[in-house]
Amino acid sequence: MKNLYLPITVDHIARVEGKGGVEIVVGDEGVKEVKLNIIEGPRFFEAITVGKKLDEALAVYPRICSFCSAAHKLTAVEAAEKAIGFTPREEIQALREVLYIGDMIESHALHLYLLVLPDYLGYSNPLKMVNEYKKEIGIALDLKNLGSWMMDELGARAIHQENVVLGGFGKLPDKATLETMKKRLQEALPKAEYTFELFSKLEQYEEVEGPIIHMAVKPRGDVYGIYGDYIKVSDGFEFPVEDYKKHIVEKVVEHSFAKHSFYKGEKPFMVGALPRLVNNAETLYGRAKELYESHRDLLRPTNPFANNLAQALELVYFTERAIDLIDEALAKWPIAPRDRVEVKDGFGVSATEAPRGIVTYALEVKDGRVAYADIITPTAYNFAMMEVHVRMMAEKHYNDDPERLKYLTEMVVRAYDPCISCSVHVARL
Amino acid sequence: MEGKVRIGFYALTSCYGCQLQLAMMDELLQLLPHAEIVCWFMLERDSYEDEPVDIAFIEGSVSTEEEVELVKKIRENAKIVVAVGSCAIHGGVQSWEKDKSLEELWKTVYGDGKVKFEPKMAEPVENYIKVDYRIYGCPPEKKDFLYALGTFLVGSWPEDIDYPVCVECRLKGHPCVLIEKGEPCLGPITRAGCDARCPGFGVACIGCRGAIGYDVAWFDSLARTFKEKGISKEDILQRMKMFNAHNPKLEEMVEKIFQGVEE
Ligand code: SF4
Ligand code: SF4
Ligand code: SF4
Repeated sequence: MKNLYLPITVDHIARVEGKGGVEIVVGDEGVKEVKLNIIEGPRFFEAITVGKKLDEALAVYPRICSFCSAAHKLTAVEAAEKAIGFTPREEIQALREVLYIGDMIESHALHLYLLVLPDYLGYSNPLKMVNEYKKEIGIALDLKNLGSWMMDELGARAIHQENVVLGGFGKLPDKATLETMKKRLQEALPKAEYTFELFSKLEQYEEVEGPIIHMAVKPRGDVYGIYGDYIKVSDGFEFPVEDYKKHIVEKVVEHSFAKHSFYKGEKPFMVGALPRLVNNAETLYGRAKELYESHRDLLRPTNPFANNLAQALELVYFTERAIDLIDEALAKWPIAPRDRVEVKDGFGVSATEAPRGIVTYALEVKDGRVAYADIITPTAYNFAMMEVHVRMMAEKHYNDDPERLKYLTEMVVRAYDPCISCSVHVARL
Repeated sequence: MEGKVRIGFYALTSCYGCQLQLAMMDELLQLLPHAEIVCWFMLERDSYEDEPVDIAFIEGSVSTEEEVELVKKIRENAKIVVAVGSCAIHGGVQSWEKDKSLEELWKTVYGDGKVKFEPKMAEPVENYIKVDYRIYGCPPEKKDFLYALGTFLVGSWPEDIDYPVCVECRLKGHPCVLIEKGEPCLGPITRAGCDARCPGFGVACIGCRGAIGYDVAWFDSLARTFKEKGISKEDILQRMKMFNAHNPKLEEMVEKIFQGVEE
């Protein structure tokens, strides 16, 4: 009997973060076992913030994941504001979404160019591509810099945005900065489109195609975006975000510090850019809508690799969307950065679309402190589904050279964009 | 240093923000011709944790038994060990409830669920191995990386900052959120270097760069101000523990802050 052990590092799952591995056991009859092991230490974010002052807990939550720190901050703040019964003004909401889009642009650009593309071009690390792929690296840096600059201006910095506070922002950029932001976004559009074209040419690995349940937040106001009050499932079912625990169960699995999530008891499902498109494409507009229509054959709901192209499409969409949101804010200029909030007791749930899918926060506030916290991150939602697709890839290729199998399974994991690069770690056992 | 510097970037339990900060720096491209990346899982597919390096950067807190072994191995293999960020230097935000038992925390998050790995309470790297240099912050500023890398590459040694965020805040001319808004700003006791980033946005400092040496920090004046603003000793302690939970002198110093100040 042939036993193959493949450790792959997969990073960034809430409650856990960081190192994980894929373990594939092959026997005479084929693939026996496929496990995504999450071996990094637990960080107990929910437990450590209970009893803490609300604003301090809100400062800690983004530290769950740096790639999605804005997503964590903004989702936690929305849950907290719902709990205390506060609704931000429309223009504040628009600017928060612009900040969130900064995270989306940075994250998608980093994922596509630095983490995914090197595999396709045959490089072990993106920095080695610099000489031969000047244009691509240049675009990657430009988009990444744009996203992080948006977060610097609106969030105080690109990682762990302390400028987002209950009631609004600590401080807002001035009008001229927002106008510059709009101009830079306009200049970024052709680069986003180039990215889409580039990724539309990549291999799709059809061996992992099959039915997938997609889950995404139903966009507020029926415009493709980040915030929403309902969760939409690709089987047609919809439920209010407050009911997430009724329809999604989390299970502790023995091989992982991260829990796995299931829909209707035991069905794995996918969250992320592809599920957003699958469920909400009719709410797209502009150039992204056209690209979606003309590339539907490539954006197949049944193929997790289409998630890469879906992200590229979102680069186009969110760049355009941010311009519109800035216009919305500028129309109401001057804007007061912050409203007074009274920290009342209550319970609030927020689900938003982080770059890699739904992130959910449920917070109970009592006497100005967190009384209960439940957080589910996109990667935790995705784990069970990811395991299914890794298994499909392994079943198809277990007789191949182990190096190739490793490379292919790693690429499946990476297509999910599980919060960070999932590079193969060749353990010298 | 002669020839290419062999560097490794190792992650323990963390949010990966410190390495993301470094990876996002365009300046990295200028450094590359002088360096060989031996280990950096976030960017390099061919990474090896057990190869000798000139400089080992460690991010994250020691949070599993496996990570205890890993840091020891890194120390053996490295000429210089640099702890990067609050997780590696201070144990990180995951240490906030350091005094609660691991069982209690586990139960809150996992219930009765069991996992086959050995978790432990998050700790700073220095609890296990000797650290030669620290790059402070959560995450560090880009210029912190540039300064450290630059000095290493010319064969010199970066120096610690020994004055608080307030100094930079005053130099920048920001309004003081502690005095003017009564918010619990930790600027007076926090290591400078961020140009008073948060007060610059009108937000109180949460101390993400960690406390400066206690014989330097302005605890006494902070005490009076906190007291005057009606902030309790317990709340101050909780706030400081966010990034300083492992500091053995913390409770003693907070005690000292409130000495002679009636609660
Ligand atoms: S110090 Fe902060 S930014 Fe760095 S890894 Fe830890 S939590 Fe992330
Ligand atoms: S207390 Fe805070 S706001 Fe006031 S001077 Fe110091 S750092 Fe600045
Ligand atoms: S002001 Fe304080 S919390 Fe903000 S970056 Fe500086 S040290 Fe960190």
